[in-house]
Amino acid sequence: MGIATATIKGFWNLILGLFTTGKYLPRKSVTLQYPDERWNMPERSRGVVVLLSDPQTGELNCNACQVCMKQCPVHAINVDQIKDPETKKRYPGNFTIDNTICCFCGICEEVCNFDAIKLTGKYEFSVFNKEELIYNKEKLQELGRDVKYTPRKKKKASDEDEKTEKKEAKPAEEKSETKTAGEKTESNPEEKDS
Amino acid sequence: MESATYGKKLREEEFLINMGPQHPSTHGVLRLVLKMEGEFIRELTPHVGYLHRSIEKIAENRTYNQFMPFTDRIDYCASMPSNLAFAVAVEKLAEMEVPERAEYLRVIMVELNRIASHLIWLGTMSLDLGAVTPFLYAFREREWILDLFEMTCGQRLTYHYIRVGGVSRDIPPEFEKSCRAFIKSFRKKVDDYEAILTENPIFLSRTKGIGILPLDLAKDLGASGPTIRGSNYEWDIRKVEPYSVYNKFDFKIPTGKNGDVWDRYMVRIEEFRQSCNIVEQALDGLPESDTIRAKMKAVFRPPAGEVFSRIEAPRGEMGYYIVSAGDKKPYRVKIRTASYNNLQCLGPISIGLKIADLVAIFGSLDVILPEVDR
Repeated sequence: MGIATATIKGFWNLILGLFTTGKYLPRKSVTLQYPDERWNMPERSRGVVVLLSDPQTGELNCNACQVCMKQCPVHAINVDQIKDPETKKRYPGNFTIDNTICCFCGICEEVCNFDAIKLTGKYEFSVFNKEELIYNKEKLQELGRDVKYTPRKKKKASDEDEKTEKKEAKPAEEKSETKTAGEKTESNPEEKDS
Repeated sequence: MESATYGKKLREEEFLINMGPQHPSTHGVLRLVLKMEGEFIRELTPHVGYLHRSIEKIAENRTYNQFMPFTDRIDYCASMPSNLAFAVAVEKLAEMEVPERAEYLRVIMVELNRIASHLIWLGTMSLDLGAVTPFLYAFREREWILDLFEMTCGQRLTYHYIRVGGVSRDIPPEFEKSCRAFIKSFRKKVDDYEAILTENPIFLSRTKGIGILPLDLAKDLGASGPTIRGSNYEWDIRKVEPYSVYNKFDFKIPTGKNGDVWDRYMVRIEEFRQSCNIVEQALDGLPESDTIRAKMKAVFRPPAGEVFSRIEAPRGEMGYYIVSAGDKKPYRVKIRTASYNNLQCLGPISIGLKIADLVAIFGSLDVILPEVDR
């Protein structure tokens, strides 16, 4: 290829490149001016972890079965189980999530049988002090107040064990009373195993 | 004042340069010790290990399902293939049947992730070579793919979508329409990239004939993926050892001729189009079903034994060697990643070239450092 051909070809390709960039010049900008404009987070978005409460009673759905604590791959969750001696209800005494190490994998939400824990689309939680990132029970409940969720009737078939099926059949009658009362008798197979 | 060297011959000697770990073109923390003779490289030693997180050791202390989020972090530009590699290995170990819809969803996600990963490569490599525009275009298209992932699994970088036995969630109803629209528009965008770069005289002079990787050297060093395909060798695990449902799709393996930077560039550009074909075929053949994950026991214990399985990740072969003692945790996990072997090619092929060419060669190998160190 002679110099003349190479020069012409080179110029032609430079013009072609300029034409491509020029094509996008009059088009609308694709960027968002973040603090002023915001985007809608999708429904499944996995952001800050919250604890869900019963919309009627306002109590936490959690009955401190500690499955999420045991299944968490980075050990970010810590739950203390307290049993009320009178009503024999179980509830979490202290429920902390360490957001400094949480990896937002969503395993806690999947293994939970009681719609108690959920990853939400919230994402602005930066603080000046690192210790403030360790959320306690009250903070997690407060964050989860406005989170809408559809109560899960039955556990997903994929995660289900045969053992769970049998055990779920028994406390089905009790379930009609209140949600937490019915489920407290149910022990998860993973709890024993791990 | 009279110079001390006036009238004398200037001293000549080799000198050492530390390129990195904070060099912008090393895409992470790679330290290259260069022995220079003037402008030319005489010896090159890559020092790795700055990003070592001992993921293989972590695997020994986690159950199979718990380890899945960690596989996201092995190759954060392409988390879906990393997830798939581990899932395929465990399924082979436990001889598990995966629902067909889940297999199709896996293929769609992995191929979309391959496009997203190559887009990062295209953007950063052209940025290293001084072309800023393709970087902006590549990240604009990647945004759409990340939106598709986010509506499906909720995350934009560490997806944790492909699980042992299937996938975590079915796609939302609006996914298919958006995905088809993306593929349709993306084919035109690939032509745009080519118009800007492929025949651009500046780009050509920086890439043509630079960093030629001979095929026998590539084979000796265990190179894989687009790196070895650029050296005119048809090697793709999707064809050689089909996993998942890849044997049902019609696609080609693009290859280069000389194995220089430009050939590796062209292979990846062609892979954009082939991935688009696979995604379209998978969307057409997506079977309707409710089960997207195989039935597993709550405490998953695969039988004792050992297994090695590999897949074609965007950077090349990614393999998992798992030894199970029949426990709920693996006894040993060894991860074979493509970047580690591809990085070894950098030394021999950049001897005698200039530092500016080294940047181009390193960009074309598409090495990602967390995958090297694990």
